[in-house]
Amino acid sequence: MKKNKRILIGKIGLDGHDNGIRIVSKWLADAGFEVIYLGLYNTPEGMVKAVLQENADLIGCSFLGGEHLFYCRKLLRLLRQNSLEDKKLIVGGVVPPDDVKALKDMGVSAIFTPGTMRDTIIRKVNELIAA
Amino acid sequence: MKASDKIQYDRYLKGETLPHFRTLSGIEMKEFYQRDDRPHEEPPPGVFPFTRGIHPDMYRSRLWTRRQQSGFGTPEESNQRIHLLLSKGMTGLNIDFDVVTKLGLDPDHPLAEGNVGLVGTSVATLEDMETLFHGIPLDKVSTTLIVNPPYSAIIMAMYLLVARKQNVEASGLIGTIMNCAISQLVGPTYQSGTHFFPLDPTLKIAGDVMEYCIKNIPRWNILNINAYNMRETGINAAQEIAFSFSLVSEYIRHLLARGMEIDQLGPRIAFFTSAHIDFLEEIAKLRAMRRIWAHLMKDTFHAKNERSCWFRTAIQTSSLPLTAQQPLNNIVRAAIQTLAAVLGGSQSIHTTSYDEAYALPTEESHILSIRTQQVIAYETGVCRSADPLGGSYAIEKLTDEIEERALALMEEIEKRGGFFECFKSQWIEKQINEARYEYARQLEAGEQIQVGVNMERDEDEEVKINIFRQASDMQEKRIRYLREYKESRNGDQVKRALENLYHQVKHHPNSNFFQTILEAVDQKATLGEISDTLREAYDFKVHSD
Repeated sequence: MKKNKRILIGKIGLDGHDNGIRIVSKWLADAGFEVIYLGLYNTPEGMVKAVLQENADLIGCSFLGGEHLFYCRKLLRLLRQNSLEDKKLIVGGVVPPDDVKALKDMGVSAIFTPGTMRDTIIRKVNELIAA
Repeated sequence: MKASDKIQYDRYLKGETLPHFRTLSGIEMKEFYQRDDRPHEEPPPGVFPFTRGIHPDMYRSRLWTRRQQSGFGTPEESNQRIHLLLSKGMTGLNIDFDVVTKLGLDPDHPLAEGNVGLVGTSVATLEDMETLFHGIPLDKVSTTLIVNPPYSAIIMAMYLLVARKQNVEASGLIGTIMNCAISQLVGPTYQSGTHFFPLDPTLKIAGDVMEYCIKNIPRWNILNINAYNMRETGINAAQEIAFSFSLVSEYIRHLLARGMEIDQLGPRIAFFTSAHIDFLEEIAKLRAMRRIWAHLMKDTFHAKNERSCWFRTAIQTSSLPLTAQQPLNNIVRAAIQTLAAVLGGSQSIHTTSYDEAYALPTEESHILSIRTQQVIAYETGVCRSADPLGGSYAIEKLTDEIEERALALMEEIEKRGGFFECFKSQWIEKQINEARYEYARQLEAGEQIQVGVNMERDEDEEVKINIFRQASDMQEKRIRYLREYKESRNGDQVKRALENLYHQVKHHPNSNFFQTILEAVDQKATLGEISDTLREAYDFKVHSD
């Protein structure tokens, strides 16, 4: 099936810091992606439901409260259970170096920590969608 | 030599210049400033409108309070960290609660599963609060409780009951309940302020807490506008000022309508502002805030008591300029930001730790923040005179220019129906998003330099940093605890207390709920149970998907 440029973006859990995710959403929209922004307070289950409904190929989440390992593990598990393992997950936010590795090992496709420049993100997202 | 190094090398030899001469708020600065730019003299410190400081001698008679935010994990863990910091020179408490608590949920709520005990301490029961403050004399240490309404009512009730157990009278309590519905969580973003509780009742219950504190806890600050969190969304200094004062005006009008006097309120409202990296502009901002507040209180609200006109602020150094790249650079940034807070005349300071871009502070970085403040206080000599930069042509002119911009924006907000209306219509949300996109654009374009990010970046950098780690079994521990707590209490009494609250909200919606909430806490109802009772009484359901 041909990949589209639809990206589902949302925050999972109760952390409300949305500065980064808002900026990245705008960058992606400006770069021609179709961004579906789900806002704050999503559950992993809700994200998976939205992936099915919206037929998005890429999922973007952001974590600033130390909850990244917990929610990424759960989201990836639910994606597998729903046979959605071809959907790729990208993560942004405050993630310590050791956890960047841990997230990659569990199957997160890209992690953008603070200070990542726009072009780096766009390039990576294009690569992931083309792959 | 690498090609990139060669480019840098040539640039250094050529002589370096700044990309532009604008402040973070966009004020274009001149080549130099002289007397003509600002001919009239500002009244001295301690004299209305207090631009130069609220006291004539400022730090000569008392240094600012070193108030580092603390709170993580279980109440036991936070209690230990508080005792450590007090032993290392912290002089006031700043208690942060985890986001689960701040959204009025218990740790066993399905939405809470990944967030328990992160970025603040988990408090659900009266017993938790007793544990958190174990061994801390509440009549000697001043405490700031970082919590928003309506849950501020529950936390305040817990604090009062802990004081009662310590045999401390309400009149002996010193400190602050933040208690702002809009600025507290992550700044005034719409969804964060409306998702877990309807907005109007939130504001009403904030008023209940304020009214109760005014009548019963004479030395307690009833409201703290969290300008810091608003600024951290990406808005500029002028917006930080305007949003804060437009917002506080709404609360004041609400309390006046309840029959209170302005001079009962003024001395008990304080602020929590940011110190960003633009050194001169931040100092000017604080001076402008003092002047605007003094006039607002006297001219708009007709305060008679001079203390009502004192703009008192705690400051946290902003984390926006801090970078994940080359994290040690953040120590330098935070020191300069702290110096701006001191030269701006702050009442208390939290120096943000250099590892903020990675995690909560470790013990080591927490102590380094305290030491930063001590170096500035005791070694640099900047505390010898009040407002030592007062009379500087550039500072005075910048103060005027920021004031002018802030006043214009406040006027616009008033024209649009006031801050609450602008928040509800999401006009504020639009301002925030535009500002944060603009700040990001400036960083991308290299107009705002961040060393290590868009200048001198090392793409191969491997950061070696000691990270604070939390125990991974936190939520399970907390759920187990909560189950045992609920089994140990008298269920009928809890049920009755919650029914009383429900009944009061339903049938006496304009009465003050605080006492009833306090009784429910005393009967061992949990924070989540009380919050759910309120939600139910307002026919509100938390949407979760």
